[in-house]
Order: sequence, then structure tokens, then C-alpha cells
Amino acid sequence: MSKYFYIALTSIRSRLAYLGELGSKTIFLFVVLYIFLCLWKVTYAETNQSSLGGLSLKQMLWYLVVTESIIMSLPTIATLVDQDVRTGALAMQLVRPMSYPLNMLAQTSGERVLSFALNFLVGSIIALIFVGPLDFNLSGIAMFLLLIPLSFALDFTIYFLIGLAAFWLEDTTGLTLIYSRMTMILGGMLIPLELFPDGWQQILRVLPFSAIVYGPARVFVTGDLQVFLSVLIQQIVAILVFAFVIRIVYNLALRRVFSHGG
Amino acid sequence: MNWLTSYTNLASAYIKINFKSLLAYRGAFISQMVAMFINDFVWIAFWCLFFTRFPVVKGWGVNDVITLWAIAASGFGLAHMIMGNALALPGIIMRGELDSWLLYPRAVLPHLLLGKSSASSWGDFLFGIVVYAIFVKPDLPHFSLFMALICSVAVLFVGFSVFTGSLAFFMGSAESVSVQLRIAMITFSTYPSPIFQGFVKILLFTLLPAMFVSHLTVSALRNMSMLDALYSFGGALGVLLAGIIMFYVGLRRYESGNLMEMRG
Repeated sequence: MSKYFYIALTSIRSRLAYLGELGSKTIFLFVVLYIFLCLWKVTYAETNQSSLGGLSLKQMLWYLVVTESIIMSLPTIATLVDQDVRTGALAMQLVRPMSYPLNMLAQTSGERVLSFALNFLVGSIIALIFVGPLDFNLSGIAMFLLLIPLSFALDFTIYFLIGLAAFWLEDTTGLTLIYSRMTMILGGMLIPLELFPDGWQQILRVLPFSAIVYGPARVFVTGDLQVFLSVLIQQIVAILVFAFVIRIVYNLALRRVFSHGG
Repeated sequence: MNWLTSYTNLASAYIKINFKSLLAYRGAFISQMVAMFINDFVWIAFWCLFFTRFPVVKGWGVNDVITLWAIAASGFGLAHMIMGNALALPGIIMRGELDSWLLYPRAVLPHLLLGKSSASSWGDFLFGIVVYAIFVKPDLPHFSLFMALICSVAVLFVGFSVFTGSLAFFMGSAESVSVQLRIAMITFSTYPSPIFQGFVKILLFTLLPAMFVSHLTVSALRNMSMLDALYSFGGALGVLLAGIIMFYVGLRRYESGNLMEMRG
């Protein structure tokens, strides 16, 4: 297990060398958060409500800080796997004394943790300037810190599966884009699930997208124990299901690997 | 007049060649177009959901936002399906790849811009027209004005890309800054303009001229106001002029990369 930990650590160190590049992406975060603040300010004012979907304007901006940080920290998991398959680099990975999926999980997790931390830090500063501090409670933060790594792990399993599709498909970029956009819209990145039409909410709550984006963000801003427990169960079940599917698909895919010489 | 005819012929020849070269990788071209279509549609879905819950935002309804998205997407698409190199300008300048373009007996900037077509931009262009026709169901005068405004927005996006891309003459590595500014411009252009007030509104009429996309075009179509359409065209031409000046002033500072390059 320790070798995967060191792979993650090495990935963080190598990303730290390009901190400037990571930092430049936070300009977009600033623009997005500012625009959403303007949009929601107008919406709260026009509806004459102090709370929409159970969130105040301050909570709404902090909610967006978390959701945007989760989405913007995404490494190019599917593309990496796709390239390994397409270029044949996967064959080189297979002779190493480690599991390829776990190696990829460690590598991309290190990158994601660093990117998330930076986005979250910048987003928090923006939120502090625009709407002030959130009424944090320690249990809420602890629950959030438990959900975030599981959210990343769940997201990884789905992107890894999409990357494996390169064994059968000519191009996986379309699938990657569709999944990422579904996570954005159905996962509650732009609007909390409570503001979706009533009929949709029950369906969206059981889909994995909400466990990746909405769940951690909602728990962070409200510290709601009930939401925490349901999201935690949803994450664990989804990770187990997708890990099982990866195992089957990965074994099927390995039968299609032919390596010779080189 | 001869000059205009000559450059129109050059543009149409480049459009044909670029389209054929995109078709050489038909699968990739179609998948990029479809991907962009889906990407844009997600935003329409977001706004439909938003307006289902909150029907009016400062006088804007769902049709106004769909109109805005249609104009912005088609305008951006038209700009870069014809002048795709506008997106790559900072990289071309930074790597000293202008050399081959300087050798042609044509004005450097229009020739360079026409040299490439962005595959995903075709998806943007088609998306805007399809969405406007299906969701807004315009009559002929509205659709005609819509098509004219797409051209205005395309001119503005080309001008803005040239302006931000030309920063590379002065800053060296300007790729990241240029991309960030372009993304900021696109992002501000695709939200209802009345939500921005005060200093930011002034900023959006000047440094990040998103209001010429999001405010004047929608207002022109909603009220069939030729005056707003003219303002929109005026703003677009102003941005294009600023981009051209920036490029040619910067070109004086250009240093060759001494690259051996062959264009097929």
C-alpha cells in the first residue's frame, strides 16, 4: 500500500513544480464565482426570499466554491488511460510490480488533491471577500473531509472505465465530455438538487453524480448529518459497484493486449 | 474594390481547403462537432431548469437566454471556423512561427487567420442556428437579423482573439493569459447582461467587451431595434480595429524563430 502512497506523493511534488500554471486557472474560478454571485443576488432579491433550496445567499456562494473546486480539480484520467491503451504504453505498465488501476488512482489522486486544495483556497478567499465567512461547525468540516476523498475515488472509477473503453472505441473524448457535462448539470454543480423540479430530485439523489458534487458541498455548508449519512452510503455502494465493473472490464480488456519485442 | 474581391476569393478558397482537410479525419471532425453540440446543450438545459424555478431574472426570460446562447455560440463558431488561427495566435507568435506567413504577397493578419479552421467551432455554429430555430421559432425578419448579428459577434470574437493573442509580442509567454481572457470574455458573454451593474458593466463595454454580445444583440432582436444592431456592429468593428492595431504594432517587435517550416 505504501508504494501507492509514494506515487501519490510524487505526483503532488511534480505538480508543485507547475504551480504557476495551476494558479492561472484560478482566474476562471474568480470569474465564475463572481458571475454566479451576481446571478444569485438578483434571484434572491427578485424572489424576496432569504433562503432558496434551504441555502442563504452566503451558503449558496460557499456551496459553489466547493462544487466548482471539485469539478475544476479534475485530472485527465480518461485521457491518460486512453493514451496508454492507444500508444501501447499499457504493456510497459503491466510488467511493473503494481496494479495498473491502483497506480493510476494514486497518480491522479495526488494531482487532484493539490489542485482541489488550491482551488478551494482561492475560492474561499473570493467568498470571504464577497459574502464573508460561513458559520462553520467542526462536525460539518469533519464530515466533508471524509466525503471528499470518496467523491474523488468514485469519480476516478467512472473516468477509468471510460478510459478503458479505448480498447473497443475509436475515440473516447465524446464519452468523457458527455460524462463530465452530466456531472456538472445532474450532479448539482450549478444548481443545488433542491432547486430542480420535484420529480427529478428523487432520481438525481440516487445517481452517482450527486454523490460526487452535490453531497460533499451540501454537507460542507449545512453540516447536515442525515445528508452526510445518505451520501456516505451512496458513495461506498457506488465505489464498490464501479470497482467490480472495472475488475470485469479490465480483465476482458487485458485479453486484447498483444505485446511483442521492443 | 479589387482588393475586397481578391480577399473574398482568398477566404472562400481557404474555407474550402480547410473544410476538406477537416473531412480527411471525418470521424474526429464529427465527434468534435457533436461534443461541442452536447457541451452547449448542457448550458441550455441549465438555463431551462433555472427559469423553470425562477421564470424572470431582471426582465429576462428563458427565450432571451436561449437567444443569447444561440448568438454567442454561432458567432464564436463562425469566427473560428473561418479564422481558426485566431485561437492559436499567441502560440504562433511565441514559437516564432510567423516567418512563413510573412513571405506571402498578402496582408499578414487576414492571411494568417484564414490558415486554419477549428473543428469544434462548426459544432458551435450549427448549434446556435438549430437552437434558435427550434426553441425561439423566429419569423423571417427576426431570423434575418439574427444571422446578421451572428456576423457582428464573429467580427468581435476575431478582434478580441487577435487583441489578446497579440499580447504575445509584448509579454513573450502570453498563451495562458490569452486563454484566460478569452474564457472570461466568453463566460461574461453568456449570462444575462442585467445582472451586471456599476463598474463591472463599464468593464464589460470596454476591456472585456461582452456587452456587445450579451446586451445589444438580445435587445436588438427583442425590440427589432436597428439602432441596437448598429451599436453592436460598431462595437465589434471597434474591437477588430483595436486588435489589428495591436497586432501590427506588436509585429514590429517580432523576432524570427529561424524555423524550417513547410505548409502543405
